[in-house]
Amino acid sequence: MDLINSGIDGALKLFFAVFSWAPPLVGLAVISALVGVGMLWVFKKTSNQARMKQVKRRVYASLLELRVFADEPGVTWRAQKSLFAANFRYMGLALQPALWLAVPMVLLIIHMESFYGRAPLPVGREAIVTMGMAPGWDAHAAAPAVTAPAGVEIAGPPVRAEAAREISWRIVPHGEVSGEMVFRVGGTAVARRIEAGSRPRYVPGTNVRSALAGVWEPAQPRVASDAVEYIEIAYPGATLSAFGVRLNWLVWFFGISILAALVMKKRFGVVI
Amino acid sequence: MSAAPSGAAWLRPFALVTLVALALAGCSRSGTHAAGKRMIVLGVDGMDPQFLEAHWSSLPNLNRLRQEGDFKPLGTTVPPQSPVAWSSVTTGMDPGGSGIFDFVHRNPATRMPLSSMAELTPPSRTITIGPYVLPLSSGGVKLMRAGRAFWQVLGDHGVHATVIRMPANFPPADCEQESLAGMGTPDLRGTAHTYAFYTDDPAEKRKEVSGGEIVKVKLDRGRALLSIAGPPNTLRKDNATSYVTLTADVDPVEDVARFELEGQRFMLRRGEWSQWFHASFPLIRGLKSASGIFRIYLQQAHPYFRLYVSPIQIDPGDPALPISTPSNFSRTLNDAVGPFYTEGIAEETGAYRAGLFSRAEFLSQSKKVLSDSMRLFRRELDGFQDGLLFYYFSSVDQNAHMLWGRYDEDLLEIYKAIDIAVGEAMQKAGRDTELVVMSDHGFARFDRAVHLNTFLMQNGFLTLDDPKNVGDDDLFVHVDWGRTVAYAVGLNGLYLNQEGRENGGIVPMVDRQTILDKLAARLKEFKDPLNGENVIDTVYFSDTAFQGKNLKYAPDIIVGYRRGYRASWQTALGAVPKDTVEDNTQAWIADHCMAAHLVPGVILSNRKIAAKDPGLVDIPSTILSEFGLQNGPGMIGKSVF
Repeated sequence: MDLINSGIDGALKLFFAVFSWAPPLVGLAVISALVGVGMLWVFKKTSNQARMKQVKRRVYASLLELRVFADEPGVTWRAQKSLFAANFRYMGLALQPALWLAVPMVLLIIHMESFYGRAPLPVGREAIVTMGMAPGWDAHAAAPAVTAPAGVEIAGPPVRAEAAREISWRIVPHGEVSGEMVFRVGGTAVARRIEAGSRPRYVPGTNVRSALAGVWEPAQPRVASDAVEYIEIAYPGATLSAFGVRLNWLVWFFGISILAALVMKKRFGVVI
Repeated sequence: MSAAPSGAAWLRPFALVTLVALALAGCSRSGTHAAGKRMIVLGVDGMDPQFLEAHWSSLPNLNRLRQEGDFKPLGTTVPPQSPVAWSSVTTGMDPGGSGIFDFVHRNPATRMPLSSMAELTPPSRTITIGPYVLPLSSGGVKLMRAGRAFWQVLGDHGVHATVIRMPANFPPADCEQESLAGMGTPDLRGTAHTYAFYTDDPAEKRKEVSGGEIVKVKLDRGRALLSIAGPPNTLRKDNATSYVTLTADVDPVEDVARFELEGQRFMLRRGEWSQWFHASFPLIRGLKSASGIFRIYLQQAHPYFRLYVSPIQIDPGDPALPISTPSNFSRTLNDAVGPFYTEGIAEETGAYRAGLFSRAEFLSQSKKVLSDSMRLFRRELDGFQDGLLFYYFSSVDQNAHMLWGRYDEDLLEIYKAIDIAVGEAMQKAGRDTELVVMSDHGFARFDRAVHLNTFLMQNGFLTLDDPKNVGDDDLFVHVDWGRTVAYAVGLNGLYLNQEGRENGGIVPMVDRQTILDKLAARLKEFKDPLNGENVIDTVYFSDTAFQGKNLKYAPDIIVGYRRGYRASWQTALGAVPKDTVEDNTQAWIADHCMAAHLVPGVILSNRKIAAKDPGLVDIPSTILSEFGLQNGPGMIGKSVF
């Protein structure tokens, strides 16, 4: 699994680097269109196309019946029943490709969140870094020592939140930063990547220790200390704007990929 | 081959375009000399002529403005209270025209105080579903001020105006002009200003304090869940208060804590302010909520947790009540400069008066309000192109109340900030834009608090059910209305208990003037028991003091105190304490609710002022005149130039 994650992450980083010259929306548009076409191909390969075609014909026929025999209640009633049943059948047929698509799409979206969903910390504005501690942690013990990369200031003492089993530090980036914060936890050095500045880039999510939690943070290195459960930096969410419209990246992603799939379905000979 | 068009033919389209353009230009400035005209008016609440005279050397821009233009005292209204005075600036009418006579009026039927500026009107038709009452018709908030605002008149004639934070303009006067409501705008709870103070300090026994409430909390493993009260849920039958929960995690040793609400996290050290929290107060869970913003201040984390939570502001980015025209204007401002204080009076004088804030803490909060205001001001000044820009500053007034005469150096810092704003406006104005800086009133020390109801009682005009019941109980709980001739509510108002007007009133109309004359004579003889000096300078009869006759809520007598004296807080709310006058020991050490001629405001301009004795009602006339317009109906002023 780690190998697959590394592969996806590496491919996305390469793709991101290729499009680093352009606004993020350009790269996202290209990847969304490719994903749309990919989804189309998977859909074709994993669905019963002949049966889908037949069901869709049934839907069209029922709709035509409803229109033509609008003044004949008996026919209308039968057409509605038939339409209803055909719709159910269609949904059943679409389930199989949807299941095939679900896993890779979820994985892809989780990875892409680091590229398009999070923005680096704004320069000059405070942010909070939070370390989740393992059970048995003593809130009255000294907090781990922290070393921040050049350009990041640790602004004041940490808060040891006993009830939440967390320690939070306040940091202020003073310039473009792409480095590592190092926490010394009981003799073990635990590193955590930090990104700050205005340039769009890969912004990692939460570092976690457990494999189960790692399912949702597939691209991050695991926390190398049994005393720590996770390390999180509160990055702001990123939004992408075009033509004066500012939207979450997922809206652009699904919009463009669906559009690409619809445009290409005839060329691929796919019944959706 | 086509023939070339004749001269007349090819000119035809250009002629048409030119005619249309001329026609449109004519429509947009119909009947005015407004084309290309620009005027900036800065309203500085409470800027005092004496203070300016004493500090010209520290206020270089204001000094240059008076040297290059002019500077004069500006006559204020009777009484010289901000909502009264700014209503006159807005409408060009005296209080008898605008119908605003005090911060508070009284309901003649109940004699209970009510807000003079706005009134809440519930929806007339509703439907009840379970615990919810859903409106079928719109309710709303009604502006009580009568008369048309000068920017409405400008709008009628196609003159663009932007009016930011004009007092007594909530909800904002209906028009297409850009305006943001000022003093009188409530917090999201619907009150004038209600802050909350959370603590586990066992020494703190109070629950309600001036302008706020104290909430006891208990920390469990360093954590406190703080219920932040939002607006009463008018969609519920019981109008239950809506809440959000702010989670506070306090470090076990260090004086620092972490706060979290709806995904927003802040860490604060002792003595530090947060940025704005955004909160959605649920009205129908998952369907409808009211959006508010607030700031918190961690006074200390140890040995006891003490946290101030500001009044919940109406979120300018998603306003639950109308605070601007057009309605999306506050959102535009929010997008441009970030969240800002929206309540009418945001400076935290209440917590300072209650002893919860030190002077330094009050000043730090007040500077945050000023900082928000300066961001808005600079945004508007930068974008100002034509027409009128009116901008109101509250900071001098609110700081003067707490600093005047005792901490003048601190007050001077606020004046200096305004001086910077004036300098920026002067630079923007250049030579082709009129610039006026004006205030609604001046200031004086408030050393002695006058219990006017006690004076009335001692002079036989007011009777208690038992003479022993003197004290700070407000709302006239012990007054025997069957034997009471007059009573005082608000900061300058005195009312007859008049038959046919007050519920159970005993003064027949025929005796009205006789009793008023008797009251006036006694008031003029009112001596301070401490030093034998007169307490009252001028007694005004509403029947004769005003040109306007919109006197529905007018007090029968308006009391003009001498400098140094003012009605006590108890008087304002209808209490009858033991003594007639006592030392003002509160942090609120200065005021202006005195005789109008003793606390004039100021006017400065980059032009010579021709008027010998300019007054507040002249300001809107001056503005209209600069754009070539005549006074509207009811306006009584004239241009000062």
